Amino acid sequence: MSRRAVLRTAGLTGLGLGLGTSACGRGFGGGDDAEGGTVALNMVWWGDAKRAEKTQAALEIFQRKNPGVTVRTEYQDSGPYKDKLATRFAAGNAPDVMAMRMDSLREYADRGALLDLGQHADALDLTGLSENARALATVGDRTYGVPAGLNAIGFVVNRTLTEKYNVAVPDGNTWNWPDLARFAREVTRASGGRVYGTNFEAYTLANIIVFTRQRGEDFYTADGGLGVSEATVADWFGIVESMRAEGGFPPAGFIEKIGASAEQSYLAKGSIASQIIPTNNLLAFNAAAGGNLALLRIPGETQSVRRGQSVDCPHLWSIAAASKHRAEALRLLDFLVNDVEASKATGTTRGVPANSTVAEEIKPTLSRDDQAATEYLGGLQRERLPRSYTYPPGSSKIAATLESIAAEVEFKRQTPQQAAKAFVEAGRKALGR
Amino acid sequence: MSTTTGAPAGAVVRLDPGTPPPARRARPRRDRAGYLFLLPWFLGMLFTIIPFFASLYLAFTDYNLLNAPRWIGAENFTEMLHDPLLRQSLKVTFVYTFVSVPLSLVVALGVAMLLNRGIRGLAVYRAVFYLPSLLGGSVAVVLLWRYIFGLDGIVNAFLGWFGIDGPGWTSDPDYALTTLIVLHIWTFGSPMVIFLAGLRQIPAMYYEAAATDGASRWRQFRSVTLPLLSPIIFFNLIQSLITSFQTFTQGFVLSGGTGGPADSTMFYNLYLYQQGFSQFNMGYASAMAWMLLVVIAAFTALNFLAAKYWVFYDN
Repeated sequence: MSRRAVLRTAGLTGLGLGLGTSACGRGFGGGDDAEGGTVALNMVWWGDAKRAEKTQAALEIFQRKNPGVTVRTEYQDSGPYKDKLATRFAAGNAPDVMAMRMDSLREYADRGALLDLGQHADALDLTGLSENARALATVGDRTYGVPAGLNAIGFVVNRTLTEKYNVAVPDGNTWNWPDLARFAREVTRASGGRVYGTNFEAYTLANIIVFTRQRGEDFYTADGGLGVSEATVADWFGIVESMRAEGGFPPAGFIEKIGASAEQSYLAKGSIASQIIPTNNLLAFNAAAGGNLALLRIPGETQSVRRGQSVDCPHLWSIAAASKHRAEALRLLDFLVNDVEASKATGTTRGVPANSTVAEEIKPTLSRDDQAATEYLGGLQRERLPRSYTYPPGSSKIAATLESIAAEVEFKRQTPQQAAKAFVEAGRKALGR
Repeated sequence: MSTTTGAPAGAVVRLDPGTPPPARRARPRRDRAGYLFLLPWFLGMLFTIIPFFASLYLAFTDYNLLNAPRWIGAENFTEMLHDPLLRQSLKVTFVYTFVSVPLSLVVALGVAMLLNRGIRGLAVYRAVFYLPSLLGGSVAVVLLWRYIFGLDGIVNAFLGWFGIDGPGWTSDPDYALTTLIVLHIWTFGSPMVIFLAGLRQIPAMYYEAAATDGASRWRQFRSVTLPLLSPIIFFNLIQSLITSFQTFTQGFVLSGGTGGPADSTMFYNLYLYQQGFSQFNMGYASAMAWMLLVVIAAFTALNFLAAKYWVFYDN
């Protein structure tokens, strides 16, 4: 290699390093302001390209109405999102506005990382929200988030399959768990094992929480403890396992967690006839599964100790306590919650608008499936449902524990009773009690 | 480009000739080029050294990523002794390492011996066999494996022809780790390429001499190939052990980050990641990282001690 070539390479190396370091200085979409004296808000969430499109449409309107504020957004899948958000807080580079998981809310809020929105009623009007909706992000007397929309879980049944195999769909308002087991058994038998009657995730907190509430217990208590009893957890696993033994539920290991999207679901593939979904996904699931889904309530709602379902949200919007653009961030949330145009743009990608007036106003503009989901939720909102409490810090760990224990039961490594005992012990430990 | 200036204008690295200190002779220019080449390494070290010491400090704190770290002494380390999931993650990692490392080295050596017999198109074969190693740790391949080993995947379809009802290779806790071990063995490319280079260096006359003495092929392999190849085997062994202890991607992708089903793919590093980024226990995660360093160092040291007895340097 000639000396000239050596030096040229060295020069290029230097150049490369120069680029590298200057790029780092910009940070990763932090809150550095755009040119021309405008404020740049950084807003992050999880979701897919479709949700991004609708969100962007709403933000365009916001930016038009608020000259001088630009919103820079980043989004990704929910798994990586959770980890990235934690890292950004640790690096002192928190986003101004962020999507917040229900089970992460207190992990941030209890450590002083989030703004108490209740202190800023003048900038962010929350009076349009029902008591239930407001309670979702309330810890003690403080409010750390606004529901980005409202949803609940519901049971969808693929009528194309039930008609094909001539199985009657139970009445979704009055059915109970034995009815579900009977229905599932019939579908599997009538289809000769080609279709399993039902499948839902025993390890999803939202599902077991409804079951727990039906039995008169609070999964998480008002003071952040674990209120679910061993007997309830054992029965929960017991119901699933007895359905599995009868064939109404797919055999162990049948369901692979390849992806969470509606297109990849076993419902869309036609290998199961019913499952639990979040209501804001009804549109996507119905499109993926052939457009003939019926939306039922969760079994056991009218025949148990008390109602189990509750009005929930796919995620909250929160503001970082350290945000340098507090006023603009509050204005953005106020727009997303209370502005009809904003909700028209976003549709129900994050559930039914949390503001009941807005929800009513946009309903006629929605597609048939979204209207069905809105009515389902409106029905729930009008009923007296027992109050649910925010997930205490440590619930990430509880969610992980439930998932691993559910697999132990599925593969018969533990009986439901053993699993329940292990789960309650681990849960208490995770909550530090 | 002129040869009288160091770096081109616009580069960040400026070679400032300056005035040399009076007491010392100015260094010849060619040294400067050398330092220039070392610069990336120095910068890289800077980015390594700081986190290195930061994590050592954090290992002795309670740090939840949101509030300032709180010094708690060795509490993280005592907590580790009572953590059942940590024990499980060590078990998974050890099983994975002790099964897949020897097997993949055996396969790598076997294939290298075959390729060494001078087939035509050696370069092509070498590249083809090496390819999986380049891809093995990648997300796409692990996903592909999920489809191949899925309950209704290719593997089970094949077993079905023989009337065997295959399990859910990735969804059944009894098989998920096995599937990952097979995936690891499939990526035998890099040790194979190194073995191949080693085999090429063994002089042919040794084999000729052994053949003249009437040694069988097996005898030649045992008495000529293995001893002369032992330094290479040793190198591959250390390398594979270290990478294997640090396995993360395969478990993360296969289980969607959960280490499931039923914690059967909960590699040590995956658990460390969960503790740090999902459960907000960065202090504990740092302590785990240092513990892993100690484990790897201990194994490497043991190997070096044992090497005296079986590694043969032909001088």
